Amino acid sequence: MLSGLTDSAERLALVGLAKNTGKTEVLAALLRELEAAGRRVGVTSVGRDGEAHDVIDARIDKPPVRLAAQSLLASTDSLLSASGVPFEVLERTDIRTPLGRVLIVRLKGSGAVEVAGPSGADQVRQVSDTMLALGADQVLIDGAIDRRAASRPDVADGLVMATGAVLGEQVEEIVQITRRAVELVRLPALEPETPLSRWLTGARAGLPAGALIGDALEPVELAARFVLTAGGRQIGELLDASPVARWLLVPGALPEAFLDALATAARARSRSLTVIVADPTKAFLTDRDLGWYARQGVELRTIEEISLLALTVNPVAPQSHRLDSALLQKALGEAIADVPIIDVLEPAHAGAVRSASA
Amino acid sequence: MRRDPDLSAVGPYADHLGDGLVQMSFTLPVPYSLAARRAALELAAQMGFEEPEVVHYEELTEGYTYFVMYGRCVQTVDFTALADEGFDIEYMGEEEIERFAAETLGRRIVVVGASTGSDTHSVGIDAMLNLKGYHSHHGLEGYRSFETYNLGSQVPNGTLLAKAIEVNADAILVSQTVTQQNLHIHNLTELVEMVEAEGIRGRTILACGGPRVTNELAKELGYDAGFSKGTYPNHLATFIVRELAARVATSG
Repeated sequence: MLSGLTDSAERLALVGLAKNTGKTEVLAALLRELEAAGRRVGVTSVGRDGEAHDVIDARIDKPPVRLAAQSLLASTDSLLSASGVPFEVLERTDIRTPLGRVLIVRLKGSGAVEVAGPSGADQVRQVSDTMLALGADQVLIDGAIDRRAASRPDVADGLVMATGAVLGEQVEEIVQITRRAVELVRLPALEPETPLSRWLTGARAGLPAGALIGDALEPVELAARFVLTAGGRQIGELLDASPVARWLLVPGALPEAFLDALATAARARSRSLTVIVADPTKAFLTDRDLGWYARQGVELRTIEEISLLALTVNPVAPQSHRLDSALLQKALGEAIADVPIIDVLEPAHAGAVRSASA
Repeated sequence: MRRDPDLSAVGPYADHLGDGLVQMSFTLPVPYSLAARRAALELAAQMGFEEPEVVHYEELTEGYTYFVMYGRCVQTVDFTALADEGFDIEYMGEEEIERFAAETLGRRIVVVGASTGSDTHSVGIDAMLNLKGYHSHHGLEGYRSFETYNLGSQVPNGTLLAKAIEVNADAILVSQTVTQQNLHIHNLTELVEMVEAEGIRGRTILACGGPRVTNELAKELGYDAGFSKGTYPNHLATFIVRELAARVATSG
């Protein structure tokens, strides 16, 4: 059961690799299981859930989100009123969304609702904590499209990632994209209890723009916005000015363009560097995998890890094609180790395919 | 004698309430002919229109026929369930915005805008930001209370974000042509995610605009507002000053 795999996460994030990878079906399946187990849920969404039709392609019908009576919910006043399910307002937040102000409510009956909670990750954490304090056993944070920020380790305790046929017509293509995304989300942490990791704990806050660091742990602070703007020449100059630096701390966003230029500069100088991000949601990589960067001499490590609890599969690409679910799960399982792979629409997903250990 | 519409079952209006009449136009990739006309009628019927009628049709170019049709839409929507603060904003005029900004904020509002990624269309962003504006509504550049930076088109998300951080922007405005094939969706979500990664989501208003952008889509994408066709600079400015004022009120 998906709920059994994920019950360790008080705040559980659902993230899709793209639109239509089946997040809402996963949410619906989790809600059914949790209701059957008598667990009281709190639900929020960084986008919008439970709408009848897709917001971009109206030909695509969306599954309803049904909640049990007593469930807690963060959604906007207008969507709550329109649902027709009776509710009691527990908190009127100051959070405004394009669809109205976010309320935290307890449902007085069961039924299908539309969920649209806060979009910003900090606010997601805030409403999640409020729902836990108000009696939810577990909070489910549904994602939107391919947004990952609410799966940050300081927002959610665990993650379910959704992949599916929408990523490609060929199984190989879907497996490749999924493998990269899983690899990124499971970015290994810096080795703990090293001089570097101990030093970083205290020094990080004082280096908001990032820094190059060598064994002496004397950081060369980067110019403001360097990682967002620097090209190959500036990166080369930076490396040349610090010939012994081994680590590059990037506290904010790490764009692929920067990492590409860094890899080129490192390779040209036969330098090895480890780039340290605050958590995996800060790295924006789509075109290359970590192995490619490693071959150029650039490793990636994270300070905070994300706990990936399950990978779900939607074998259907709406308005396009359908693949064999078992085949897709098997191919994913061969490429991606140590995570349960589940199609929640299979009758017997309780017997989830466990991927072979690597 | 004027009758009030039934807001719980609203349908199109042409000559009298409840007639459901819709005028539509489209082109079919078929030669101008009687068969083309029949095809248009049948298509309209399949769309669910009752009593479809072709009122005009002509050859657009060889092998293509352009139609103007009427049809009766029998579906209705419950408007009473939709009207709320999220949808209905009463827009302020330019002078009102200037006054409101001066009174509630007392400083200039910094807005950075661009068309991002591979999108080459800068018309939308130019109309909102540049002095010239459009339809004689000048853009935010012409407002005393706004300081604007228009980075143009095909701007990488990292560049836009860096500029926003550099000038301490209150709002980032992105223009994108969203297509059914989701072409630019990833660009739009990536910007939101990068703003999160830089830790400035809480203090940055994110607005997106484009021909298919609605508030519903904006919510899904992670933006604070979405603007589409028919938006004038003062609409955008109204949203920004009201949102900033609300944030000041909340944090104060």
